Amino acid sequence: MKDAILKEIGRLIIPFIQIFGIYIIFNGHLSPGGGFSGGTILGVSLIMHKLIEEPSKPSIKISERTIMQFMCFSFMLYGILKGYSFLSGGGEFELFNIPLGTPGMILSGGMLLPLNIAVGIIVCFTIYTFYTLFDKGEI
Amino acid sequence: MKKILSILLTVAFISILLVALSEGPAFGNADNPANNYVSKRYIEQGVADTGAINIVTGIILDYRAFDTFGEAAVLFAAVISVVIVLNKSKEQV
Repeated sequence: MKDAILKEIGRLIIPFIQIFGIYIIFNGHLSPGGGFSGGTILGVSLIMHKLIEEPSKPSIKISERTIMQFMCFSFMLYGILKGYSFLSGGGEFELFNIPLGTPGMILSGGMLLPLNIAVGIIVCFTIYTFYTLFDKGEI
Repeated sequence: MKKILSILLTVAFISILLVALSEGPAFGNADNPANNYVSKRYIEQGVADTGAINIVTGIILDYRAFDTFGEAAVLFAAVISVVIVLNKSKEQV
């Protein structure tokens, strides 16, 4: 896209959008939001970067391999963490329980923060992959 | 022939579902199965059980975590199938 205004404003605004998305993901257990909404905002910032960049020389290039690695890792992380808490929370096994901490702090709520991050990564790359594939046919 | 058969099947399914629905409890009744102790327990014990102030996150990532795992699996499967079908670049995973 060759619009200079869109390009400059986008370059200014993209870091703030990304910080806002990360804030929503990391405060998912304290305030409204969470992995789904924060991941959507992160994915939208990636789409905006894809819209305003020069197609010949992109400043960041996310390869298909990177996307698949991130998504598979997040998916397995979610499954392993939550499967462990299904085992340890049942009471039959004497396993280590992650402490819940003080409600209201960032590092509290046991596994909620890593689960939110995993869901956020999956949603972010889902939105980005759908946009790029339906737009140009390649990632 | 196929059309008549599919219409008959659809009508049969609809009538079965409607008959099953007519046996259900009345709308807005105070003794309905939906008005049980679960929501009260979530509201009162949610912070102590999950450690999350945002009760929505506490429910979808702790009480109903397996449901959210299914949602993530849906997104994952959608991305993999779209990449397989639509990807035209030379790079292969």
